[in-house]
Amino acid sequence: MNLGTLFSGPDMATILMPEWILLLGIVAMILVPNLGNATFRLPIPGTSIRIPYLIGGKRFSVTGDPRVPAAIAAFTLFASFITALLSQILDSGVGMAEACVTMNGLVQDCTSDGTHILRVDAFSRLMEMIFTGALLLALIANWDRLPATPHHRIPLKPEEDEIKETRRLFRLLNNRRQVDFALLVLMVALGMCTVALSTNLFILFVGLELASMASYVLIAFNKETQAGPEAGVKYFIVGSVASAIGLYGISMLYIWNGDLAIYGSGGLAAKWAAEGPNGLATIGLGMMLVAFGFKVSAVPFHFAAPDAYSGASGPVAGVLATASKAMGFVALMRVLIGITLADDGSDWTILIGAIAAITMTWGNIAALGSRNPKRMLAYSSVAHAGYILAGIAAIGALGPGDGSQLIATAIMFHLAVLVTFKLGAFLVIALLECEGRGYELEHYHGLARRDPLIAISMLIFMLALAGVPPLAGFLSKLMMVSGIISSTVGDVSGSSLSEAMGSLSWVFWLAILIFINSAISLFYYLRICVVMFYDEPDRNLRLSRAPMLRIAIMLCTMGAVVFGFGVLADVLASAAADAATALFS
Amino acid sequence: MEEQNKSEWNLVLPILALVSFLFVVLRMNPDSFGFDASTSSFLIVAVPLVVFPAILIIGQVYKGKDLWKHQLKEGGIIALAALAITLALTIWLIVEFFAHHAHFDEQGTIFDWITFDILLEDKALTESVFSFGIWIDSVSLTVLFVAAFLCFLICWFAIGYMNTDPINEDRNHRFFAEFLLFSMGMFGMVLADSFLWLFIFWEIMGLCSYLLIGFYWEKPSAAAAAKKAFLTTRVGDVFLMIGLFMLYDLYHSLEFAVIFGDPTLGGAVHGVDLQWPLFFMFIGCVGKSAQFPLHVWLPDAMEGPTPVSALIHAATMVNAGLYLVARMFPLFSEHHFEGDLSDLAMLIVWIGGITACMAAFIAFVANDIKRVLAYSTMSQLAYIFTGLGAACWFANEGYHHLATVAFGAALFHLFNHAMAKGMLFMASGSVIHEMHHAHDHVHLYDDDDDHDFDPQDMRNMGGLASKLPVTSTAMMLGSMSIIGIPLIGGFWSKEGIIGQAWNVYLHGGEMILFPALLVLATAGMTGFYMSRMWFMTFAGKPKTEAAKHVHEDTPWIKTPLVTLSLVTAFGGILLAMYGFQHFLGEDPDTAHLSSHGLLYTLRHAFLPEEMTLKLVGWTAILLSAGLGPFIAARMHGGRLDDGENATPMVAWLVDLSGSVGRTDVGELAEGGFAQALHNRLYIDDFYEYLIAKTILPLAKISAWIDKNWVDGVIKGIESGSQSTSTWLRQFTTGRASDYLLMAAVGMLAIVGILWGVV
Repeated sequence: MNLGTLFSGPDMATILMPEWILLLGIVAMILVPNLGNATFRLPIPGTSIRIPYLIGGKRFSVTGDPRVPAAIAAFTLFASFITALLSQILDSGVGMAEACVTMNGLVQDCTSDGTHILRVDAFSRLMEMIFTGALLLALIANWDRLPATPHHRIPLKPEEDEIKETRRLFRLLNNRRQVDFALLVLMVALGMCTVALSTNLFILFVGLELASMASYVLIAFNKETQAGPEAGVKYFIVGSVASAIGLYGISMLYIWNGDLAIYGSGGLAAKWAAEGPNGLATIGLGMMLVAFGFKVSAVPFHFAAPDAYSGASGPVAGVLATASKAMGFVALMRVLIGITLADDGSDWTILIGAIAAITMTWGNIAALGSRNPKRMLAYSSVAHAGYILAGIAAIGALGPGDGSQLIATAIMFHLAVLVTFKLGAFLVIALLECEGRGYELEHYHGLARRDPLIAISMLIFMLALAGVPPLAGFLSKLMMVSGIISSTVGDVSGSSLSEAMGSLSWVFWLAILIFINSAISLFYYLRICVVMFYDEPDRNLRLSRAPMLRIAIMLCTMGAVVFGFGVLADVLASAAADAATALFS
Repeated sequence: MEEQNKSEWNLVLPILALVSFLFVVLRMNPDSFGFDASTSSFLIVAVPLVVFPAILIIGQVYKGKDLWKHQLKEGGIIALAALAITLALTIWLIVEFFAHHAHFDEQGTIFDWITFDILLEDKALTESVFSFGIWIDSVSLTVLFVAAFLCFLICWFAIGYMNTDPINEDRNHRFFAEFLLFSMGMFGMVLADSFLWLFIFWEIMGLCSYLLIGFYWEKPSAAAAAKKAFLTTRVGDVFLMIGLFMLYDLYHSLEFAVIFGDPTLGGAVHGVDLQWPLFFMFIGCVGKSAQFPLHVWLPDAMEGPTPVSALIHAATMVNAGLYLVARMFPLFSEHHFEGDLSDLAMLIVWIGGITACMAAFIAFVANDIKRVLAYSTMSQLAYIFTGLGAACWFANEGYHHLATVAFGAALFHLFNHAMAKGMLFMASGSVIHEMHHAHDHVHLYDDDDDHDFDPQDMRNMGGLASKLPVTSTAMMLGSMSIIGIPLIGGFWSKEGIIGQAWNVYLHGGEMILFPALLVLATAGMTGFYMSRMWFMTFAGKPKTEAAKHVHEDTPWIKTPLVTLSLVTAFGGILLAMYGFQHFLGEDPDTAHLSSHGLLYTLRHAFLPEEMTLKLVGWTAILLSAGLGPFIAARMHGGRLDDGENATPMVAWLVDLSGSVGRTDVGELAEGGFAQALHNRLYIDDFYEYLIAKTILPLAKISAWIDKNWVDGVIKGIESGSQSTSTWLRQFTTGRASDYLLMAAVGMLAIVGILWGVV
């Protein structure tokens, strides 16, 4: 591949536009904050002619502004998001315009034969939007106040010397660190988008690692604190071992098939359908489940997650719980649904079902006793992973068909709306972190008294997480459960009730378990609401102003509401349905 | 005072100018905006819905600031602007409706709300959609206009009434926001195109009435009244919901287009099937419109601020029940159901007759000016129910022309009563307000006997005709309209209702004789209690010191009073002349009737063809315009103090009342029946007794079960899961090596299971 073929046709530039934008953003991020008045003196004796070369020296006031990196990154992510959105809107008119990219950098129709490594369709576009949207929100949240640390706080003086305060803040917010943060966020975005696009296990792995590596650093970003680096390193160790195991599994699949492409005539899916797996392939699949299970924090690979979430700053933890988890599910669905889903269900379903059941129960029960809201949310995120895994298990049990597409739609919808309320909840925590608190339940006492708007936002997030009716979380859970139940109840036969119950698919009981777990989860979600609204605050200071963070929280709140019973719920649901269709095609 | 009066206009005029500008612009070239009257009618609901949270939030943030408090009247101006826009849209809609009648037949769906599959009896999955749309016909337009017009004027009044009372300071934004939401509920209910949305808006109104009646929540009586209103109407609403469920079971839809399009649903629905759903829905109406036996909440609802009383009684909530009955009317007139629903129609008439008479009796002895009006409202609404019931009976028995006349008369009375009663409440508010101020003025420096004074008690008033010229005139006109003095307001419609009730009797509905007698008698009783109220308040000598020092100087109050006085005085006759009744009844001969003019109308009202009806009509006139006021004047009338001159508009009445002689009824007022009336015929006590004997023991039992069994189980689960949680979280040791061990175990398990099953 040379640069000539890279832009040989307009197709390549347009269909991968969100990724190109991210790449350009990364380049700009490296260049722009380094622009300065550096000169090079010509080595001619007797003269002092200086030739400016602009990289280095004293930064210009524009490029030296500490807000520049965040602005570049935000613009990049926003442009990427909008591009994905527009192409989704523009293409979704007549069927779903799909395009695939071959190993040689050629754009082809996906039905044509060839080894495709990337695939652009409704599924990947929706996932790109989820990733860039979540990262954009996290970035906006970090706009005014890096470092957002769990135990570190930027002191805020009274409002009268605001100008002085702003200057001081600028001094505090080190330009270099801003660049680091924004750059890492962009790299995470690029890696995640690659995962969304890839139809080749190797490319998928590369994208996964790009995103993961950057996110390990993001977790440990607050190096002044003790918790941050420790959490980052722990997450890195466990994550790299999981990745290694996954890579090992991929290599086994390569030995088995000789090609890592998922679709196409020589692809893994074709071989799996034709011959069925042998032992090598089975073990390879199992090992990949370990890697992806770590990403989605399924039990028993979730242990590092609560530590990582509580060590990372609020927005980063939010990204881990939403975008990063969605990435894990993309990979999981590509492998499980793309490769192994035979016509009449697959054998791994009972395994995924068991993992799902254990994961959701473990997550919820562990969350019950957590006094640290961040760890509580981490465990709740484990529980949510369990719900989604239950959906995947149901897909496996049902085989391809309308019922499975319904459940896949529910999964996409859930991953999308999770960005609004889970990330939003972490952002509220981030707001409390601005005053160096937020890691104890007591810090939330009387939040409604101190800042009613934020408390109401948090209430909405908690209710949405618990799946209380009018909100977004309810709709996704309803779609999931009703999908599972309606497709299992359809097969029921038998004259009496006991016979009918006996003939129910075991997947049915997963839906019941989701109900039970939702009921349990209400307890700890509502506990936060109760202390926010009914307990006396232990301090009466106003919360930090942090306007951009508040804007991000409000965006999340609005999202949680409008995707629940607003008009947009329908739009998103139909986008998710398109994505599900694309996934199964 | 001059300055205050000016401030009424310097803000309102720009708003009115803006609205009229919008109106003109839209009117001139609607196509260029892409919408016309019918498509923009959803704005009537949307505008208040958007504005009310704005008032609430801005008010919470900026309360106490000068601009908010004085220029914007704590949100009152914003609410007024929103209501002005809805009123303008309503008028536009009505104009367009007359211009392009056919254009409005099909009302579009605005948006689909819920879509789901239902399993029918034949095991086929059918998609069912609950959508929101607008339904416009002459009935909904009439009620919509009444609501929009009165809400606008009441809001205007409220700016004067609420904002000059220090007790409301810094919380009026709550009032105006709730007021606006309440209006929104009424507009939405009237415009909704399905029973589902009708019910939703109905409940929004229920909630708002609770909030508004309990506006002075710190007063225990207000809080109790709010609770009573909420719970009593809830009883009706539960039945309404059951009725709607049954209706949905019959039609698989709650949309008017489906139900009224083909009431038999292709022969699948029979008249007898509809009896119970409609009966249950009627119970809902009874609760909402405060009819016997669910009327107990309404008199207590007077605890709310006076504009709220006006809003609930005249413009909105009580009309909701009437509107729902009017909505059921097409089902009665479906000829396949002929004869099946006439029992239900008769029930409606009976409820109306009983309530009319009972409420009028209680109003005889009420001394609180607002309570008199409250009972009068119940009584007048009962008239409308009687009329609607008669219309339903006619329709169901196949007398379609008579049904049209009765239906038109009933809705016409709704219009007249709403205008008159809205004004009466505002006028009473004016009286109370000024009494209160005068009392504060008189007793500025002494702390004694301050707390016993009740500015609403008519026994403290008297002789106010000279002090409150505008109010007394307005109240006189309103009372005349309610009484049915010939040629004024309610006369036209009331004669029609009484006449049609008797007409039912003549057409074979013998069962109606008793309620028909009751409404006839009530006409005379109305004449008595309304006159009694007026004479006690405005005629005779001042009975307290405060009543001597009353001045009519609160801004913002007079304008709506004058407006409504004009409407009350001339609206009835004008609309009667132009065949308004027949327009309401959707009579095909509308065009002819409107050209008959005044003489036809007069002859129709005074000289019906049938001899019995003629007799009934003249008896009603004699009783209401002659006997009732005469007795009231003898008991409570009297000339003013020397040197006090009433405005010429009412002076004749005061003088007349002073010249009819005196009757002392002290003995009668002490009698057992009067005592029973004072206690509201013991109905409230009976309910309380019933609740204490049935509900409370049940509540105690369930509380015990909840406390000992349910909570026990929950607590057990809770402590169990807490300890499990602690145990589970032990695995999260914090050491990466442990995590790796767990991951390794997990990997082995996964591979092992896969190896085993594949």
